[in-house]
Amino acid sequence: MWRVTLRGIQGHLVRLLLTAAAVMLGVSFVTGTFVLRDSFDRAISGLVAGSSAGLDVAVRGTEIAGGDGARARLPLDLVDSLSAVPGAARVSPDLRGVAIIAGSDGTAVRNSGAPGLGFAFSDDDPAFTLIKGRGPVGAGEVVVETVTLDKGGLEVGDRTRAVIGGETRHVVITGEVEFGVLFGATAVLVDEASAIHSFARDGTVPSFTITAADGVSQAELRASVAEVVPRGIEVVTGATVDAENESSVQQGLGFFTTFLLVFAGVALFVGAFIIGNTFSMLIGQRARELALLRALGASRGQVLRSVLGEAAVVGVVGSILGMGLGVLVAQGAKLAIAGLLGVDIGTSLPVTSSTLLISLAVGTLVTMASAILPARRAARTAPVAAMRGDTPIAQKGLRRRGISGAVLLGVGVGLLGLAVTREDVPWVAAGIGSFVAVMGMLVGAPLFARPVVRAVVWPFVVVSGVVARLARQNALRVPRRTAATASALMIGLALVAGISVLAQSVKASITEGVSSELTSDFVLSGGQSPVPPQVATEASKLSEVSSVAAVGLVPVTIGDFSTTAAAVEAASMPENFTVSMAEGRLDSMEGDRVLVDRTTASDNRWEVGDVLPATVGTLGAHDLVVGGIYEDSQAFGTHVIVSRGLYEDAVPSDMQTDLQVYVAAVGGADQAQLREDLDAIVSPYLVVSVMNASEFATAEGTAIDNLLNLLYVLLLFSVVIAVLGIVNTLALSVLERTREIGLLRAVGLQRRQLGAMITVEAIATAAFGAVLGTVLGLGLGIALQRGLEAQGLRTLGIPWGLVVLMLGASVLVGVLAAVAPSIRATRLNILAAINRA
Amino acid sequence: MTAAHVAERTQASTDRDDRAIAAQAIGLSKTYGEGGALVTALGDVTVEFASGQLTAIMGPSGSGKSTLMHCMAALDTPTAGTVIIDGTDITHLKDKALTRLRRDRLGFVFQAYNLVPTLTAQENITLPMDIAGRRVDAEWFDTVVDTLGIRDRLAHRPDELSGGQQQRVACARALLSRPAIVFADEPTGNLDSRASAEILAFLRASVDDFGQTIVMVTHDPSAASYADRVVFLVDGAIVDDIVKPTMAVVLERIQELDRPRAEA
Repeated sequence: MWRVTLRGIQGHLVRLLLTAAAVMLGVSFVTGTFVLRDSFDRAISGLVAGSSAGLDVAVRGTEIAGGDGARARLPLDLVDSLSAVPGAARVSPDLRGVAIIAGSDGTAVRNSGAPGLGFAFSDDDPAFTLIKGRGPVGAGEVVVETVTLDKGGLEVGDRTRAVIGGETRHVVITGEVEFGVLFGATAVLVDEASAIHSFARDGTVPSFTITAADGVSQAELRASVAEVVPRGIEVVTGATVDAENESSVQQGLGFFTTFLLVFAGVALFVGAFIIGNTFSMLIGQRARELALLRALGASRGQVLRSVLGEAAVVGVVGSILGMGLGVLVAQGAKLAIAGLLGVDIGTSLPVTSSTLLISLAVGTLVTMASAILPARRAARTAPVAAMRGDTPIAQKGLRRRGISGAVLLGVGVGLLGLAVTREDVPWVAAGIGSFVAVMGMLVGAPLFARPVVRAVVWPFVVVSGVVARLARQNALRVPRRTAATASALMIGLALVAGISVLAQSVKASITEGVSSELTSDFVLSGGQSPVPPQVATEASKLSEVSSVAAVGLVPVTIGDFSTTAAAVEAASMPENFTVSMAEGRLDSMEGDRVLVDRTTASDNRWEVGDVLPATVGTLGAHDLVVGGIYEDSQAFGTHVIVSRGLYEDAVPSDMQTDLQVYVAAVGGADQAQLREDLDAIVSPYLVVSVMNASEFATAEGTAIDNLLNLLYVLLLFSVVIAVLGIVNTLALSVLERTREIGLLRAVGLQRRQLGAMITVEAIATAAFGAVLGTVLGLGLGIALQRGLEAQGLRTLGIPWGLVVLMLGASVLVGVLAAVAPSIRATRLNILAAINRA
Repeated sequence: MTAAHVAERTQASTDRDDRAIAAQAIGLSKTYGEGGALVTALGDVTVEFASGQLTAIMGPSGSGKSTLMHCMAALDTPTAGTVIIDGTDITHLKDKALTRLRRDRLGFVFQAYNLVPTLTAQENITLPMDIAGRRVDAEWFDTVVDTLGIRDRLAHRPDELSGGQQQRVACARALLSRPAIVFADEPTGNLDSRASAEILAFLRASVDDFGQTIVMVTHDPSAASYADRVVFLVDGAIVDDIVKPTMAVVLERIQELDRPRAEA
């Protein structure tokens, strides 16, 4: 029987290779993900070790409860007692903060998303090495990290501006340093006096780094240091810091790898349909051959094993190709990360044996599992079928399939509906509901084939008549097959449509929120970077300005409830925002009296006047009083608003930066003039820009667009798989209909018309998948938006442009997929085709 | 060759002279392979098919009768020689022109019916006209359909029809565009005797009543007896040509032709 298997593979080599290509794409994601994760792992271990060079013992404040990892700061003068510890070779306070330098073009040198850091320069600091020039002396000199220098088109000796700890300075670059590790951040170094002035204005630092003298272990030094520091201060070894850093980086990566694996799963799931489809068609065409084997005495088991053997070979070949492609995918991803984030994660691509084993197993098992149903059908072939002529086209049981599809779809939608409308149903149900609905659509898809295909082909029928009608009949000949072929596109586009609805809704909600709740004329924002407090101070001095609302953020924990609160001056709010109070008064917010939004208040059963024990920023055990309850607001996005007075007490002065500054003009002020004046105020701070309300809304949406683009690239894979699937099915159909094609050519169908017929069939299949996927995706997206309404996703946004684009692109997919099968069909010899048994 | 045969052939040639020629092969050859493996399917065949006649081509397996028909029907390209269909020399036509010729001026009936399974009987019948984008002559359609007795089957798909019914649909398809010639390749090969008789009677009637020209390849002597003329092929060459054949004469000729082969 093995010979039969091998011959089967030989006979359908091209088709099986196409099938293997589907496996390959799925597996490449799996391999790529694992390789990428391993190379991250390797790079991180190296990086973490590098980042803690010279750190044998760290002295730091305790973590603030509910502060999201923030720690209490330590007095700078602790350095004296630490220096006296025996075995401590070097003690340095960690003087660091925000620093941004202007490049040769006058704009801030940024590395998308990564922070701009400022450090104190010291000749003997092991974290970096001076590679050119000399260290900075005085407030007018800086040293710049080499990549930052490069990015800004700067050189040692250049004069430029820098914003250090919120202060703009004109500086001369006196030197260039190289850091062990910066994770893509930019770095500017100043002398110690400047650093203390900029980063430790209130005489505190986050931590101290102590290097051990030769022969003193980290543990010994830790013990000695612990003896001299006051209670409430942590002393940990460098090894502990490394471990902490590593685990926090891993946690971030965990999300990333899960994300990639989800796409690998989608790719394989979609691939499984194509594999199953290909095998059932191959088996359908070989029914007589298989029946002959049965008639000659092969057992059912032998036929089953023969078909599964074929699947195994295809799975192994596809997996091996996929592993190769996966390494390339990982390499591409690394280049993308290096290019986009400026994070170099090393050049090695570790391919471990477990990666290979998992990839191989996943690819092969998925292939074999997809082939099981067709293989079982093959094994059931009655020996007598060998004696029959044409194999009849099986057309049974669509009704049962339709019913189960409809039931699944109903259950899925119902679950989703429950999760969305009822608070007591957990969100997981929404996920399960969506999944079940997708499955229902997959199962029930053949039932939709007739109406959808008819509608899609209609314009072609109007234009080209019989050719399009033939194509339509061909697409509808086996609705199951058409549906299975279209499923890849369906799933891919359902994901795109669903996610896009959510993203569009987020954007629409922001715009809506901004336009309905924002009454200020301008917003000053630094994007990811904080706005220095001086901006608000200076803006409020302008004559055209009526009110300035500076919004800062501070972590607040009340009992089990942790959140980030906005800090705004109550008096500045009415002119800049529309805030409607449900209870209490807006101006009651003062000192420890805070405002809470309605949902939060009702969730926690707080009422106006309640006294709540809380921690705010660095203030532990601080009682807050509910001063008022406001209607949920989009403008702040926070659930609690505190006074500026409380904020100034709770946040160290060097961290008192603003997230955004809102500016309302006096009535009749010249907007253009005001904008000019504000521009003049923010320009020294390099990263702060002036936006009007609509620009602000657009800028908020940009981050979402970037995320979406990444998703689209990943989903492109499922489109590629979809094309392969359609090519495969069409190639097999052409083979199956050889005689028919011969006849059509004999009675006068031109080659061009034949090509058109196959192309229209491909378009019908692709568009069928696209229509179903889009409808499903839009439905799920809309349901999820409804569910998230309370969470602030108030406005439904439907990306109509994208919908049109997807449907249009599916036509293109069809045209592409039809190329090879069309060529094959038009080259058929008419006589040979007609006389084919 | 007997005297009777010579007389018959002379009669045939005079008969031909007063009819227009629908198709003509001049020095037609078809070979496969090269050198020692050279196989000659047709060797320098010259033959004419008169309009308004039913001509049968007969011969043993491998005699080249199908090759002759395929070359004449623009389905196969000859190695040498010329084919003239309805006044057009098709020897040097490109695929596109050949396809149009088949579509507009030829009709086909195959042994295995060769209907498109997704189309109804009516759609199959009008298929060549639809492909050409030509209007179907409704009156002619009704005439053909009623003559064949398939009016009540028009909405059915091929898999819902018997073999005889399918072949009648195929005949209707071949005739609908009023082609210059209908080529029928073993049209009764898959049918029982009753269905065969019906098809042959129809082909005969279409020649007599509609003046249709038909060239039919067959190995069935009873089928040949419906023809106006039978052309015998052996080893790629025409060895005999009988006008107004009867079944007895055809059988006799077949036996004669087989004998030297059996003896050799």
